[in-house]
Amino acid sequence: MNSDIRRATRRHFLAAQALGMGGLAMSWLLREQSLRAAPTRPELQPRRYDLEAKTPVHPPRATAMISLWMQGGPSHLDLFDPKPELDKLDGQKFPGEVKYDNAAQASAKVMASPWKFQPRGECGMELSELLPHLGRVADEICLIRSMRTGVNNHGQSIRALNSGLVIPGQPALGSWLVYGLGSESRDLPAYVALIDPGQLPVLGVENWQNGYLPSLYQGTVVRPREPRIMNLAPPARFQGPAQREYLALLQELNQRHLAEHPGELDLEARISSFDLAARMQTAAAEALDLSGETAETRQLYGLDIPATADYGTRCLIARRLVERGVRFVQVFTQNQFWDHHGNIRSALPAACQKVDQPSAALVLDLKRRGLLDSTLVHWGGEMGRLPVIQNDAGPAKVGRDHNTYGFSTWLAGGGVRAGYVHGATDEFGHEAVRDVVNHYDYHATLLHLFGLDREGLAYEQNGRQRRLIEGEQGEVVRGILA
Amino acid sequence: MRVRLILEPAPDKRPLAPLSWLRCVCLCLASMAMAASCFAAVACAADDEQPAPLSYERHVRPILKTHCFHCHGEGDELAGGLDLRLRRTLVQGGDSGAAVLPGSADQSLLLERMQAGDMPPEEVQIRPSPAELATIRRWIEQGAVTLRPEPERIEGGWYVTEEERQYWAFQPVCRPVAPAVQALDRVRTPIDQFILSRLEQQGLSFSAEADRPTLIRRASLDLLGLLPSPEDVERFVADESDDAYDRLLDRLLASPHYGQRWGRHWLDVAGYADSEGATDEDPPRPDAHKYRDYVIRAFYGDKPFDQFLMEQLAGDELVPRPWNNLRPEDIEKLVATGFLRMAPDGTAAAGADPALARNQVLADTLQIVSSAVLGLTVGCAQCHNHRYDPISQADYFRLRAILEPALDCRNWKAPPARRISLYTDADRQRAAEIEQQAKEIDTERAKKQQEYIERTFEKELAKLPEELREPVRAARNAPPKERTAEQTQLLKEHPSVNVTAGSLYLYDRQAADELKQYADRAAEVRAGKPVEEFVRALTEPVGQTPPDTFIFYRGDHQQPRQRVAPAELDVLRIDPLSELPENDDELPTTGRRLAYARWLTSGRHPLTARVLVNRVWGHHFGRGIVETPGDFGVLGVPPTHPELLDWLADELVRGGWSLKRLHRTIMLSSVYRQASRRTPELDAVDTDNRLYGRMPVRRLEAEVIRDLMLQVAGQLQTRLGGPPVPVMADRVGQFVLGIENLNAGRPGEVIPLGADEFRRSVYVQVRRSRPLSELEAFDAPAMEPNCAQRTTSTVAPQSLLLMNGERVIELSAQFARRVAAEAGSEPEARLRRAWQLACGTPPDAQVVERGLRFLAAQTEYFQQLPAAGDSQEAQAGTLAPDLEALAAFCHALLSSNQFLYVD
Repeated sequence: MNSDIRRATRRHFLAAQALGMGGLAMSWLLREQSLRAAPTRPELQPRRYDLEAKTPVHPPRATAMISLWMQGGPSHLDLFDPKPELDKLDGQKFPGEVKYDNAAQASAKVMASPWKFQPRGECGMELSELLPHLGRVADEICLIRSMRTGVNNHGQSIRALNSGLVIPGQPALGSWLVYGLGSESRDLPAYVALIDPGQLPVLGVENWQNGYLPSLYQGTVVRPREPRIMNLAPPARFQGPAQREYLALLQELNQRHLAEHPGELDLEARISSFDLAARMQTAAAEALDLSGETAETRQLYGLDIPATADYGTRCLIARRLVERGVRFVQVFTQNQFWDHHGNIRSALPAACQKVDQPSAALVLDLKRRGLLDSTLVHWGGEMGRLPVIQNDAGPAKVGRDHNTYGFSTWLAGGGVRAGYVHGATDEFGHEAVRDVVNHYDYHATLLHLFGLDREGLAYEQNGRQRRLIEGEQGEVVRGILA
Repeated sequence: MRVRLILEPAPDKRPLAPLSWLRCVCLCLASMAMAASCFAAVACAADDEQPAPLSYERHVRPILKTHCFHCHGEGDELAGGLDLRLRRTLVQGGDSGAAVLPGSADQSLLLERMQAGDMPPEEVQIRPSPAELATIRRWIEQGAVTLRPEPERIEGGWYVTEEERQYWAFQPVCRPVAPAVQALDRVRTPIDQFILSRLEQQGLSFSAEADRPTLIRRASLDLLGLLPSPEDVERFVADESDDAYDRLLDRLLASPHYGQRWGRHWLDVAGYADSEGATDEDPPRPDAHKYRDYVIRAFYGDKPFDQFLMEQLAGDELVPRPWNNLRPEDIEKLVATGFLRMAPDGTAAAGADPALARNQVLADTLQIVSSAVLGLTVGCAQCHNHRYDPISQADYFRLRAILEPALDCRNWKAPPARRISLYTDADRQRAAEIEQQAKEIDTERAKKQQEYIERTFEKELAKLPEELREPVRAARNAPPKERTAEQTQLLKEHPSVNVTAGSLYLYDRQAADELKQYADRAAEVRAGKPVEEFVRALTEPVGQTPPDTFIFYRGDHQQPRQRVAPAELDVLRIDPLSELPENDDELPTTGRRLAYARWLTSGRHPLTARVLVNRVWGHHFGRGIVETPGDFGVLGVPPTHPELLDWLADELVRGGWSLKRLHRTIMLSSVYRQASRRTPELDAVDTDNRLYGRMPVRRLEAEVIRDLMLQVAGQLQTRLGGPPVPVMADRVGQFVLGIENLNAGRPGEVIPLGADEFRRSVYVQVRRSRPLSELEAFDAPAMEPNCAQRTTSTVAPQSLLLMNGERVIELSAQFARRVAAEAGSEPEARLRRAWQLACGTPPDAQVVERGLRFLAAQTEYFQQLPAAGDSQEAQAGTLAPDLEALAAFCHALLSSNQFLYVD
């Protein structure tokens, strides 16, 4: 209730600021820094949406999330999930039934991992030699070896994991989190997509779309090259006082227009988006400026090495964004970065080289800054790979086909159990068999970690309550909670 | 053979089901007052309200079709020996025994397995809902009945029930009588009755009529995508005659800008692009713009839409062969087939898998045609029967067979090979004559050149000692390969005698200049040849056996199975015209597309007109009567006003498929003329304005926003047609207008675009990989392969673009210059003019007072600000402080909601 009064007061104040009253202050300057409103309750009429920080219904374990999205499907069998049985049967016929995606290049020949695994950290978690840096933070991560979506295509499986359902038009995970929790930052977008300099991942901009949620909850793209956010500063003569005057006039005109169109949500959203844009201008420039980072930090993320410089930069930016109150950051790899249907012997090490050090650095850096407790880090893609050869055309050319029936993902911080391995695939790594974590279980767990109620986090669309998890039970995976 | 179970007389000679009977009536007496009862959906809804027993066909089958048929009936093998497609086989059961025990839900295996979550298997994503399970339970409890006897057998593994055939969108259009309403004073057209009747059921009525300035702005933006001038607004406001609004519509509909605005809408659904897409290279399509201009011309000229569609689908089959000396109207028809050439096309790309790339072009073309014309997601049936709509995989490939003779994967024409030259015989002869003249000049030049070389050589030779002259001459005249070592050495020692065509100018400038004049003359003569233009068309080879079309197992083009003949979707084969020939003997081509186009445009096709009027309605009201214009199927949103949809569809056909007539019909209604303001009464019942108790407030589309900025800045170029304005990446990777000028991969000098920079957005190049940043920011669609419906977002990057975008700031300065030129130096006069240009109406006193304070403060601020730079150019580019302040005011207007939205 309190929040309603505050909103009403603010509205009243803004109305008083409309033309004729002479006030010039920008509305965002009037907001309190830590104004907290009630959690979004869709039944409130009229519907109003904002990005003000909401108090979750349960005490949260995580308040921010960085998702390192590994598009294409990293091979769990070569990175996370050692299978001695495959070593024994290497080159022989696979004894079970395989669900291939690409029938044309399919082979039933078992493929042992060409790489060695060894126990890492005090927990003794077995990890591949391709991930030496991750091994150093093994005691901080929670490795799930029993992920499953069961939809064997990139687009569908991405949708399952990143928006809950396999059909398009659903809000992305980040949209749900900012819808439910708002933003802790006044001056940065609540939800940031850090894209790769290469091609956009499969599904392109759909990866950060708000679906049926209001557009306020769409992810904002931060580009890999300058200008990182388009049009971030005006020409020199319009900076400072000139732009402030312009914005003040503009927002007065907009408020006046809104008063003539009461209840038009999109008009309100656009007014907010100018506020946000003005704040972003100063804040984003600061957040994206890495010049203040120490040489040690820069080295930690691999900014001094060509292979890791780009991904390291984005991981470091992700940390800086979360530090400044951004709720959800997703760092994307380029299109089909991990989709190793062929040439896996050369392509997989190259991919690992690019992301291993920066990913581990992010965990370490968050930890030493005291941010890891409240920041959930996610590393994973939409699928794993099959235990058999695809493209049996010689050792250099072999690869592995899609496998969404069992694959690995790791989490760190944000209330998950550190140094822990959860679940298992069968002896060949083909299907998750123990403590299976379906995408909806993963989502139920995420919402739990953020203190959100999966039923309560709903949005009314055409008279229907829509939720992140629909048509499935979705169990909180208790085993991975710290 | 098709299985047409229901329409064929049943063996027991029972009377036709009531709904079939209704459909027959609709066919025969289309204009009779059948109104709402024509709609199966409506009838269905009414049925559901009564506690009638649930039936297999109506209630249970759709659930099982969605969740189970894939394995239990329509797959290659019958899983568990259980076929769920008939009530009979459900009771018979499979390997595990009976699936259903009528009357005993708890003893029915089907329900038990489904409730336990065993079925569908857990990996299946889409799960039956509790409500669906409850329906099945109730049906079993009530005795598991069917509405009518079931077919003896299911031929071809596929049958469509009467209920599916009765789906509203597959019924012939039936002109309903407009319902009676109370508020007769608000009724201008039957449209108003359809809308009012629903509003009145909710105790509501229309909002007040919008004021004149709002109406003219709305109508101009809707029809032209441009603002009315302040003078237009004043005239319209002052016009007291009864037909002022009618005449306004006439004037707007006659404008060439109407073609640009509405052509753009069709280009969305056609997937228009100036590049091939499909690969990173994304090569340009040099001739695609002719199709764009064709579309714009067709809308401008109000080409009847049936003809428009016919030309796009089968224009080539309408042009008599041979194609020499094409007449303009023939060229027009060939250009029109560019519609079927719009899909992304990677078939000419190096390293492409040709079979895969070609198959994809066909799939995308089918996707474009089906979403644009049929409004169905036919593409969902490429790999398996459609899960929701009665569209089988065979249906998909039968539609494909219509296109396949022209898009023949085994006899493929790569993009560069499919161009048709527009040279006439006369052109060709003229070109040959001119070439002859040019060659004569070339010969003359060559002769002269040799003469000058020899002359120069002799001069050089004369400079050598006497005794060397003959040996050097001999060495030089000997063919290079036959020269002796001494001769080669001799020439090396005396390089000056090596006079060549390339080095002549070094010896004899005058001779070289003279030769250049010959070359210039030859070039000038050649330039007189008629320009050879090309059309990117879709054509069918003549006199060839058409290729066979096969169903691809699981959609895999490498696994062709049964052969199929061309046909309309089974559920739409409701009319003799819907039957298509495999090979029409009357035509040199197969005639498949032509026959299909004739059926689609016959006025009897259930979808063509409905889908079209729905789009038109959607562009006027921000939302279609069917909210999903590309999906009229089960998963689409049902029409809010089904009777109105049919009435409009019928009006369109009766009106000779004239879109301009349709616009008038819609825009003359009271619905369209309402104010947009929300009221608590309306919001309480209808927040989303589905009942149309007011006009919506809509944000303008990306192209319109850009065009309006150009317009108010006085920069808009109104030239029609021609090659697109190119898009290139600027220094930071933003896509801007410009001619690409890369120097070793880096941007070189800027090549001025001139006035082209200010052309309307419909003429901006649509390079799929390079969407113009300022259009993309405001949700201009990506053509992958087309766009059946745009979305509108409201995000901070748009605000940043409006605040800081270089172009927006430049245009604000242009706007200010224009205002100063038109209004003089008085701040108030300037402010009033700027406001009127952007908003149409005079500003009120508050705005004037606030604006003047702004101008004064900003002028003062810019006065004390050091000049932009010391250089002359910097000085020249800077506006005087008062103009700079005015530009800032104009900037605020251009970024305001008042400017970006339409009431």
